[in-house]
Amino acid sequence: MILRALLVIALCLAAAILESVFPFVFHMSAARADLLLVVVLYLALNDEVIPGAALSLAAGYISDITSATPTCLYAFLAVFTFAAVRIGGNAVKTDGGPQSMAVAFAASLIHSTLAAVLFYFVAPGSEGLVLKFSPLIWSAVATAAVAPLVFSVLRRLDKGFVPADAALRVR
Amino acid sequence: MRSLLRRYREPIFVAFLLALPFTVFAVKAKQKLALNVFDRTVISMTAPVEKFIVWSVQGVQDEWHGYLALRSVREDNLRLRRDLIREKSQSSAFAETKAENDRLRRLLDYTDKQGPIRSLVAPVVAVGASPHSHVLRIARGSEEGVHRGMPVISPDGVVGTIALTTAHYADIQLIVSPTSAVPALNERTRARATVKGTGDLARCKLEYGQRTEEWHDGDLLRTAGTVGFFPQGMPIGRLVNVSKKPTGMFVSAEVVPVVDFARLDEVIVVLGSQDAAATGGNAFVNASSVGANQ
Repeated sequence: MILRALLVIALCLAAAILESVFPFVFHMSAARADLLLVVVLYLALNDEVIPGAALSLAAGYISDITSATPTCLYAFLAVFTFAAVRIGGNAVKTDGGPQSMAVAFAASLIHSTLAAVLFYFVAPGSEGLVLKFSPLIWSAVATAAVAPLVFSVLRRLDKGFVPADAALRVR
Repeated sequence: MRSLLRRYREPIFVAFLLALPFTVFAVKAKQKLALNVFDRTVISMTAPVEKFIVWSVQGVQDEWHGYLALRSVREDNLRLRRDLIREKSQSSAFAETKAENDRLRRLLDYTDKQGPIRSLVAPVVAVGASPHSHVLRIARGSEEGVHRGMPVISPDGVVGTIALTTAHYADIQLIVSPTSAVPALNERTRARATVKGTGDLARCKLEYGQRTEEWHDGDLLRTAGTVGFFPQGMPIGRLVNVSKKPTGMFVSAEVVPVVDFARLDEVIVVLGSQDAAATGGNAFVNASSVGANQ
């Protein structure tokens, strides 16, 4: 269990590095995928509540550090997303593929809007909430496009732990 | 009570994990960003990997463009881009100098209000991880004299300010960030205002621009040169969608930044004025001569 958690955190760090490097190298400004959000979605749909929520917090925290945003903004949003998707997740069971893309697209839009709303309360002297939907949609499209890949990587990681769990159950 | 806790331990745990970051966020949101030891450790783990990947990819790209494909065209392009940067830099300096000269002539005041500045060229190694962040990471940190709040510019114009520093890396908060506000003046009319970030990488907005002043689409806004902030006369952006409402004190307008933040390979950190401190070695250059030195 601890090894799996460490591997998921390592995967989150790798995702944060990719998110930081790829848009810079390829001069992308709008269509940027939120890989850490996809990790949170996978955890919400497939993990146990307690380890999933804790790992979501870790993913959000990594996003906070690597984005220089107000402390714990993304950490809060990650746990919030985990809880919301978990509650709504009974209706949406997905192992990847088109369903995961649809979930990622919707989650990215809601996540971005919430981030903008929370940012509005932080920005000192702001005249009003500014929501630009074009970048949000492009980001959601990119997030949806990479969701099956991230789900696939995480599913492979989880498969590596199944035999050990099964063996424990047999014992 | 214990059985109740055991029964609802999952919702209680999630509620705790929601309340904890939200409390920290609410308390620290309006304070300056600060890194603890754990944050620094994570950055010191990820930033060198980012730097290595970027330099490797750029190295491969440079090799490909420089030697394998269109070598002479590539070299010509680099030379012309250097020339263009130099010309832009000189043109900006001349335009601002002329405007300033005219103004000062009228006032019969020939005092040069802005001394030479010390600056440090810094390579950009990554962008903020979240798609909604407005951050660039540079491979220069507190060990090289970079500190929080320092202005960052490029030969094209204003980039942002230093938000966080570690020993060898720093994060720049771009001027398009909602937490950014830059004092500006209209190059044409000298009217003052503030350029405020909106969170959109392509747009800022004009705040506190008096409606009694003249504001037109296409007007170039430059830094007002507030003491301890950006050097005076750096281009910020051009006005678009200017509208004067029938009531109110201020005009409504958007500002398109002159800098393309997605295509910045190097930036210049303004360390301070040369009057304030002696220059600190070869890494320091005068911002006004950056284009000429490249």
